[in-house]
Parts: sequence; structure tokens; C-alpha cells
Amino acid sequence: MSEHNLKGIAKAQKIYSDRSQRVKELKVAGAQILGYMCIYPVVEIISSFDLVPYRIFGSIEEPITKADNCLPTCVCPFLRSALDLGLKGKYDFLDGVVMAHPCEVAEKLAHIWRTYMDPVYSFYIDTPHATREAAIEYHKESLKDFQKSLEVFLGKGASSEKLKKTIEDYNEQRALVRELYDLKKPDPPLISGVETIEVLESLMSIPVKEGNELIRDVIEEIKERRGGPAKGARVLIWGSIIDSIAVVKLIEDLGANVVMDDTCVGSRFFFPDVETTGDPLDKLARRYLVDLKCPRTFIESGIEAGKKDYAEDLALRFGYLGDYVKQWNIKGVVLYALRFCDTHAYEVVSVKDYLSSLGIPSIYLEHDYSATSLSPLKTRVQAFLETLGY
Amino acid sequence: MAEKKKVIKRLKTMYPLRGLVDKMFEKAVEYSHEGKPVAWCMVNWWGGDSLLRAMDVACIYPEDYGAVCAAAGVAQTYLERCNSDGFPDHICGYARNCLGYASLMKAQGGIPAGAPMGGMPKPSLLVGSGYFCDTRFKWFQALGRYMDAPLWLLEMPHPGVPESLGKDSEKYIIRFMVEELKKFVAFLERSLGKKMDWDRLDEIVSDTIEMNRVWWEVNELRKVKPCPVHSRDFWSCMPAALYQAGDPKETTILYKNMYDEVKGMIDRGEAAVPNEKFRLAFAELPPWHSLGFFDNLAERGWNCVVESWAYHPPQFIDLSQYKDPLERVARHTFQYFAGFFKHAHEAGEELGYFGYPYIEYVKNYKCDGFLAHPLLTCRTATNHLMYVQDRLMQKLKVPSLFMEGDIIDYTLFNPDEVLRKADAFEEAMLHYRDVRKKEGLDW
Repeated sequence: MSEHNLKGIAKAQKIYSDRSQRVKELKVAGAQILGYMCIYPVVEIISSFDLVPYRIFGSIEEPITKADNCLPTCVCPFLRSALDLGLKGKYDFLDGVVMAHPCEVAEKLAHIWRTYMDPVYSFYIDTPHATREAAIEYHKESLKDFQKSLEVFLGKGASSEKLKKTIEDYNEQRALVRELYDLKKPDPPLISGVETIEVLESLMSIPVKEGNELIRDVIEEIKERRGGPAKGARVLIWGSIIDSIAVVKLIEDLGANVVMDDTCVGSRFFFPDVETTGDPLDKLARRYLVDLKCPRTFIESGIEAGKKDYAEDLALRFGYLGDYVKQWNIKGVVLYALRFCDTHAYEVVSVKDYLSSLGIPSIYLEHDYSATSLSPLKTRVQAFLETLGY
Repeated sequence: MAEKKKVIKRLKTMYPLRGLVDKMFEKAVEYSHEGKPVAWCMVNWWGGDSLLRAMDVACIYPEDYGAVCAAAGVAQTYLERCNSDGFPDHICGYARNCLGYASLMKAQGGIPAGAPMGGMPKPSLLVGSGYFCDTRFKWFQALGRYMDAPLWLLEMPHPGVPESLGKDSEKYIIRFMVEELKKFVAFLERSLGKKMDWDRLDEIVSDTIEMNRVWWEVNELRKVKPCPVHSRDFWSCMPAALYQAGDPKETTILYKNMYDEVKGMIDRGEAAVPNEKFRLAFAELPPWHSLGFFDNLAERGWNCVVESWAYHPPQFIDLSQYKDPLERVARHTFQYFAGFFKHAHEAGEELGYFGYPYIEYVKNYKCDGFLAHPLLTCRTATNHLMYVQDRLMQKLKVPSLFMEGDIIDYTLFNPDEVLRKADAFEEAMLHYRDVRKKEGLDW
């Protein structure tokens, strides 16, 4: 079957296996492609200018060689890998890049990328850690500057109406993703964790409307198909970026089902909507700064009381995980962090404490973002699943 | 390890400045005994310190205490405690030291036995900062496991070089910073149960800006050949300014004394390193446990004449036109952060902080080499070093030497390995002197 005739899961798997193919086709047809790193560059603004946003990932399969000259080995291996791919020409099809401040290394990378990759267009969106009103206002001003820079780059003005319409398109996609995740609530789930990643990465590799069509087809297919995942331990995976199916496949090959996640390629990125009433830039600033639950953002507690209560602090920061545990009937949690990912590393003990308070067992895995180092993780996951009774 | 000889000539005026750190920790213990407020703070580049001092809060800096523990040889106990509590071993050495300390503090019900310099008393407040480093708030957030002090995050914008130069950028950046400071004042007033003393704040802010001006002037004097101030003296007396360790009015006098001493040395042609053969820029944090190692390098004629952008005071700008002390705080701190941005933009360079400043340093201080100390546990002090190495070679034909180590864990630093590389690096520095001459560079 021709790839253009593919639908649903098969199409997602095809896109996942060659992520840039579709945008390269679009580029030949005249589209401009803007790469973005992590979940903080505002895709709605990119799409509202008729640019195609394309998420920049690394590759756990590809040894890092060229980036070793630009970034030391003691920083995030994912970011080093992404730069490495860039330096090897794998992102040459991009017409520009947008980066933000998800962590200090990514923030530095934004500037280092500009130096070494010399993109025709680039913009760096500063992203505060605080979520107080002044920070939201500042973030909004940064987004205005982002819009202005695109106006200069493209020679056309921003349209508030277009932006609102684009926000609706993305909200539609988010609703569809949530619907997809609902299909993971039954036991066994109707879709595997591996398939979920394939679908979601596809959405980050094609225009939003094409993505919405794809995920609608996936949902329809999943609801009707027989022979989905078998019953197994219901696991949630939390942590740093997981942009390859390898880690989730490792867990599912051991008989578990990754039925929920809290990572930036999964629910963390897709779940929160943008409010559609009022000033769209204001709502975008709030969605990206406040509603995205990444450890890089500071959530304050105990400020009014003058005293911090640890249990309350944990509930405030991780309460949504408690909801996931209930709704997806989670039996165990895999905490996965890349080595040298500070924002997640500091969080590990607190997340474990919170899960313990709910009676949910967890295991912490640290990974160097290479395919060759997955085997030791497999042994540990196997032991963990045994403790869960599987 | 090579034999330690004291080759570097230390400034007499450094000692009273260094002594302020001891007093800072002593004051915190006294305040704790008297029931007065104590804050554990992250370095915040004067973005919050003045406000705390105006409210009569004793401030101590666990980052600095990490260096103290490393120098005193007790850090290993705290590091192991942190590991056993489940924190990954690749996070910041300072943080691991502090988390282990706090864990022991909770277990023992007070300052852990054997804590150096009298220890850090239990804080009433935690003041983290979002400046440059994720650790500066994630670490304090993690402390919630061991203590109930509320945590405030001091925030600062981090625009890129071109993004900072937009038509309205400065306006909204300063507005953001001032609004955040207002909220910080409200938090302090609520937590401490008293009102801000605005007159006192105004005075402290002015004194702090003046203190940094004098300290900046001292460092300007180091451009002369031979250089009279080695990095060791810089590191010894930087906390006085960086942490506002003492009263800024009194500290200013101590820096002025230093200025006079250094000026006198210049007039007499005296150097920190006898027979200065090579002038080096150092980045970023030194191996606090092995500072004597720099004497081994000085013996070879290596003089570290400039260092650690992050710990230098900002180039002075007159802020007297701004009557609101909060706006002066914001502008002073932002000047520190973005003071090099305009030049970086004109030079077509990125990384206006942590990166580009070294290009100016190396050029203005006529450095022969760049000595980099990448830290396995510190992204902030490390992630730009290879970039700087490359830019210095591309722009200025200045070679670099990397000596890997850690600020706290001495087992990660191998001084003999560095000394083994020294001969080859000297050859490279000599070679590039010729290259620079051929390319029309003047040193």
C-alpha cells in the first residue's frame, strides 16, 4: 500500500519511522518549516503564520560525535544528541528555529545553536520559572516580541483572528489526545504505550490539521480493533523526555502496560488547553507558563502561611499524578530521568515520597540516552514488576 | 600530588574581607539563639540581599557553606548522607552537601555535630533564585523534606542577546523585576510581621552599588603587566561583595584599602606571581579543596589574572536618577546580567553572559591562555566552557587547557594530570603569541 494511503496507527508508525519525510514534502511544495525545542515554544504562534512547527528531537541510536566539540559530556545527553544531529545536517531542511528556557542547558543551547547552525531565522523565548502575575505579563511581552520577529522574517503581519483559530485547532488536537488516553483506562488498555508515542510524535511532525485527521483515524481504529495489548501490570512513567519507543517497549516487552505518562512527549505537553476567551497572547502565556506541569517551573507553597507543610507541598506539586493513579488504575510508577537532567533529578525523592503516601510503589531509572545502555534498565524493571506481583 | 609551595603573593587587604564570611556565619548563629530571623539564600547578585538586610534578617549562603565544608574536609559525610536519602549523585556538589547537612540536622534536632564554622542554624526563610541555574530553586524545593521554612523564588529574566535589544525590551524587563521585588517585600513583611524600612533599604542599596563600583575598580587594575592580584585573592574576597557578607558601607572601605594596596604594588612593579610568564583567564569555580594547587602553577610563572565572570561585579553605571530603591536593585542586577550584551551583539556573538565576557576579558587582560575547570556536577559552571574555548581560538587565537574536577569532591580532581599537560600547554601559549602577532592582535 502506498504510504499516502496509510491511515491510523500504520500511518503514525510510518511517520514515526521517518519523521521529517512529510515536512520535506511540504517544503518542496512551498511551505516553511520552523524547528522548535521542547514544549515551551508556542506552536500556536508558529502555525498562525502558516509555518509548520516541527519538534526537534535527538536519537538514542546515533552516537554523539560532533556535539562533543560544543557541549561537554556532563550536560543533558538528549540536548547534546539534538545538537549533534543538527551539526550532522539532519535538520538542514528547517527554515529556522525557536527555542525557549526549559532548563539552563537548553537555554544555553539556544544560543550555541545559533552560533554553530547559523539558522536563517531564530528566536529565543525567555520563560520565567515563577508563575506570579508579573511573570505571566513578562512572558506575554516575550511572546509579542516573538510575533514581531516573525512578522519581520515573513514580511507579513500577525492576525489575532488567525491566532484564535489556530488555538482552536490545537485545542481540538489536545481533546483528541485526551480521548486517546481514555482508551488506555480499560484493562487491558486498547492502545499500547509504544503506539501512543508513535502517534504523539507524529503529531509533532506534521501540520496541526493533518495531525487532527490522523488522530481521529487512530481513535476510530483503536475502538474497533481486536487484538490490542494483553493484561499486565498497569504502569505510569514519569520523567525526562522520552522521544524513542525503546524505553517504553522495554517495559511493555516485560509484560507491563504503560497506560499513563507524565513526560513532555506525552500528557504533559498535550493535556492542558488554551483558554479561548479574551486576549489570545495572555491565554497562551498562562497556558505555557502555568498550566504545563514541568519540574522546571516553580510552584510555591506555604508563602501565605509562613510555613511549608511537606505533604501539602507535594500534593500541590504532584496532585495531578494522584489523579492519574486513580483514573488509570496505576499499580506502579517508573521514574525515568536522563543523567545530568537536574530539573528531574531534584524531583525524584519528592515524587517517590508523594507516591509512597498514596501507597504506590515506584522505581527510579537513570539513563544516558543511548540504545546500548538499555539492558541494565531491563533487569531493574523486571525486578520491579516482580515486586508488583507480575 | 606535587609538593605545595606558597608562591603566590597574597594581598594583605584580602584578609579582613575574607574574614567577613566567618562573621556572616557567626551572626546567623547569634540571630538564631536570639530568636531573630535567619535566611538561607542562594546567591542572587544583589537582587534580594539588600531587602533582607533592610529587614534585619541574617543571611547565609549554603553554596558558600559547601565551599567551607569542602575546605574543612567534612563534605564527604554530608555527600554520603545525601546519596543515602536517594538523591542522584550527579546533582550539584553544593546541593548534595546541603541536603545531607539538612538531613542530619533533622535527625539530630539541630546543627549537626562537627559542622564547620559553627554550622548553619535552622532557617526561618529560604530564598532561592532562578538566576542562571535550575539548582538554585530545585535544591531549596527539595529541602522541604527536612524543614518547614517557606521558600521564595527570586526571579530574573534571561533574554538572549538580540532579544534583549528590542525597542521595548528593557522597559518590560525592568518592570517585571520591580514587580517581583514588590511581591518579595510583601512576603517578607508578612513572614516577619513588620514593615520594610524603606530609608534603610535606600541606604543599603546605594552602599551596595558603591561597594561593587570600588570592587570593580580593583579588578580593572589587574589589567596591568605584571598583574598584582591572583585569582586566589579574588576568590577569597569575592564573597564580601557577592554575598554582601558584611555591612556594605564598611565593606566598601575594605575594598578601597585593597585598591590602595594594589595601586601601590603597580607603582612598585610588584606582581602576585614572581616572574609572570603566562597570563591566564580562569573559568568558572575553582577546586576549593585544592587551592594550593595554584601555587604549583604559579611556580611555572602562570598568573591567573581574571576569572569567573559570574562572580565579578557589574561594570558601574550611574543609577542615582532612579529614586525607587527597588528599581535601582533591578537595574543594578540586570546590568550585571546584561552588561556585555550590546558589545556581544556588535561583535556578532551569542551567550552575552558566561560566554562573550571571556572574549573581552582575554583581550583586555592580555591573556595567553584560558584555564577551564569543568565540573561533573555543575551544569552552570560547565556547559559553556567548550563554546568559550572555541570562540577564544576563533576570535583571538588563544588556547585553552581543561582540568576536570569538582568544587566539593576532591576525588574527582587530579592535579598531577594537569601538571603533566602543562609543558604542552605552555608551548601552545607561546606558539599562539606568534600567531596573534601575525594576525595583528596586540599581545
